[in-house]
Amino acid sequence: MPELGRAALIVCLGLALYAVVAGAIAARQRRQRLAESAQNAVVASFAAALLGAAVLFTALVQNDFSFVYVADHTSRELPLGYTISAFWGGQEGSLLLWLLILTGFSAIAVLLARRSAASLLAWAVPILGGVITFFAFLLVAVSSPFATQAAPADGAGLNPSLQNPYMLAHPPMLYLGFVGLTIPFAFAMGALAARRSDELWIVVTRRWTLVAWTFLGFGQLLGAHWAYVEVGWGGYFAWDPVENAALMPWLAATAFLHSVMIQEKRGMLKIWNVVLVIGAFALALFGTFLTRSGIISSIRSFTESSIGPWFLGFIGIVLAGSILLVLSRLPLLRSKTRLESPVSREASFLYNNLLLVAFCLTILWGVLYPILTEALRGEPVTVGPPYYNFFLKAFGLPLLLLMGIGPLIAWRRASLRGLGRTFAWPTGFALACGVVLVVLGAGSSIPGLVGYTFCAFVLASLVLEFVRGTRARHALGSSSWAGAFSSLVARNRRRYGGYIVHASIVLLAIGVVGSSAYDTIVDQRLRPGDTLSVESYDLRYRGVEDSRGANAQEIRAVVDVSRDGESLGTLRPGKNRYFAEQQVSNEAAIRSDRLNGEDLFLIADQIDPDGTLFLRALVKPLVNLIWIAGFVFLGGAAIALWPDAREQRRLAVRYGRSEALARA
Amino acid sequence: MLAVFLLYTSIAGGTPQLRPSELNGRTGEITIVGQVVAPVQRSGRTIRFRIKDVQGSSTVRLPVAYTGSVPDMFKVGRDISLKGRLRAGTLVGVPGTLVTKCPSKYSSKKT
Repeated sequence: MPELGRAALIVCLGLALYAVVAGAIAARQRRQRLAESAQNAVVASFAAALLGAAVLFTALVQNDFSFVYVADHTSRELPLGYTISAFWGGQEGSLLLWLLILTGFSAIAVLLARRSAASLLAWAVPILGGVITFFAFLLVAVSSPFATQAAPADGAGLNPSLQNPYMLAHPPMLYLGFVGLTIPFAFAMGALAARRSDELWIVVTRRWTLVAWTFLGFGQLLGAHWAYVEVGWGGYFAWDPVENAALMPWLAATAFLHSVMIQEKRGMLKIWNVVLVIGAFALALFGTFLTRSGIISSIRSFTESSIGPWFLGFIGIVLAGSILLVLSRLPLLRSKTRLESPVSREASFLYNNLLLVAFCLTILWGVLYPILTEALRGEPVTVGPPYYNFFLKAFGLPLLLLMGIGPLIAWRRASLRGLGRTFAWPTGFALACGVVLVVLGAGSSIPGLVGYTFCAFVLASLVLEFVRGTRARHALGSSSWAGAFSSLVARNRRRYGGYIVHASIVLLAIGVVGSSAYDTIVDQRLRPGDTLSVESYDLRYRGVEDSRGANAQEIRAVVDVSRDGESLGTLRPGKNRYFAEQQVSNEAAIRSDRLNGEDLFLIADQIDPDGTLFLRALVKPLVNLIWIAGFVFLGGAAIALWPDAREQRRLAVRYGRSEALARA
Repeated sequence: MLAVFLLYTSIAGGTPQLRPSELNGRTGEITIVGQVVAPVQRSGRTIRFRIKDVQGSSTVRLPVAYTGSVPDMFKVGRDISLKGRLRAGTLVGVPGTLVTKCPSKYSSKKT
């Protein structure tokens, strides 16, 4: 069995190397048959990776402890679901998952592009092959999941904090995002290497970026929800390096998805777009490296990691190679047009891009800061949440505002009078909302007030866009308003899908602002029978319940919750003491209000033997909008991604000629 | 320009990260990274324990006093990081800054 796994990975490595060499020769000498053979090698490498993954999967499910990896990450008692999630619970397994997804995506991309963008494939294949080679090499030579040993009686088990349903979905989701960014990179570089100066690569790349970006975004929200519900400190994002690792490529990809429209419509920002694609891919590699190499704790631990130096080397090669390629193709990338006015849709996209990239760099700087200072001064200096939160406000609030301006402002050049007409309604609505909010007491946080006012502005301009579009459709003869609305969305999936994603970001912003700028935290020492009022809630501590669960002793503080004398139920925050792992975990209790999206979040910081409870109570207004935003986000992304026959035909006409030329 | 801006806030907002053996009586705010050593004593919401260097052979055992919620993973032998100031030989922690380092997530075990 392990031999089969090892052999599969070696075959995968061989196929990938072949794709690099044969693909490059075929592309240089324009040899069609050889090029097809290299493409087939990429597809076949997926089969090899799949076989390797199947071997590890079988070993995990069968508790085959002669595999070092299985023995280190599972045990006999571990439930089946977590045994499967142990696949990505350790380094070797997660690398194998990377390889599996990478070869899978590559195979799909190659098969799809054969029909629609064959000329781009020539150089994309060797580049995909190169990335596959790197991961296959790591798995074969540096960090093999198929190392064997004399089987111990039982395995070491999985870390309890990873024994959680979210860990089944959250890491694969993030990997789908990280890995997905490889495809746009390969096609962008392929187009440059082939000296293609048209926008065909953008068409291929945009869809793949959108897919990867959707997985990455949703995966992050899953992680945030896991942190909120399970880790139990009352927050959902802590600017932890591992969280930042996923946020950075997502921001870069977000910037690309916007600026790409400028290139499609106006032929501008070509260099910038290529740089964003390279940046997103490099950040995805860097993110994998961050979560897997241990560089965060210190440089010292970095040198101990077996794959760290390899990753760093590969990122270096990727950056150096792609920058050289961009520099050598600069004449091809010259813009056809120039920015005509700083008040136009192009310009607002440009500002949006600058803000997104600036924020991305800010986070990168914060992540690298301890490493840089340790290298320069000998002692690492860390920056904490205040640093990130400051820049989130400094860059995030203007971004929010732009989200309301961008979709409405005219292309090329917007006149002041036009602006007044366009924005009269949203501005009026936002100002009215602001005044109402001040009256309601939202003035206690200025960033919060500004954030909410901007949210109102964006929502109003989004609604305005939908209303105008629907009205136009209706006037064109749609029978019903609902029919007009659905045909509006169906005919412009990218545009209106994008607007729905914007709406989800507004929901997210409302949730984040509400739960961070307007939250209440109370710490109180309570004896049984004591009461405590937090905002509109009256809490009464009844006493301690102590029960024995399957694998842990469960201690719970029983707290009755009521409002104005009306009972809202009983919450049981507490702690679990795990027998086997000798570990204590905090079990927070949450009451969500369906009507206003507010959470009452109780943490039993400490429960003394005499029944004294140190309770931390948090009231988080609107926090549930964050989770709803996740589903709206998915919906919007799905609409934008849905294949559109009309658009395909448009593109076929537009690029068909150049494609035919390239083939000739 | 951006870099200068970032550098500025980093210096203003950052705290040095030290090991227990590197403290040498510094009284400014620092982030300390170390391994928890027994015994851990609790009195009310305050816990007292000692930490040592995660690696190396230093014999320094730094006393720590910390008030506030303690993460789940906190126990003897765990690596933690904590913000605080040195007061009369004891590191007094800033509430809410005690973080345990999750071994499975960061390190590639056995090397």
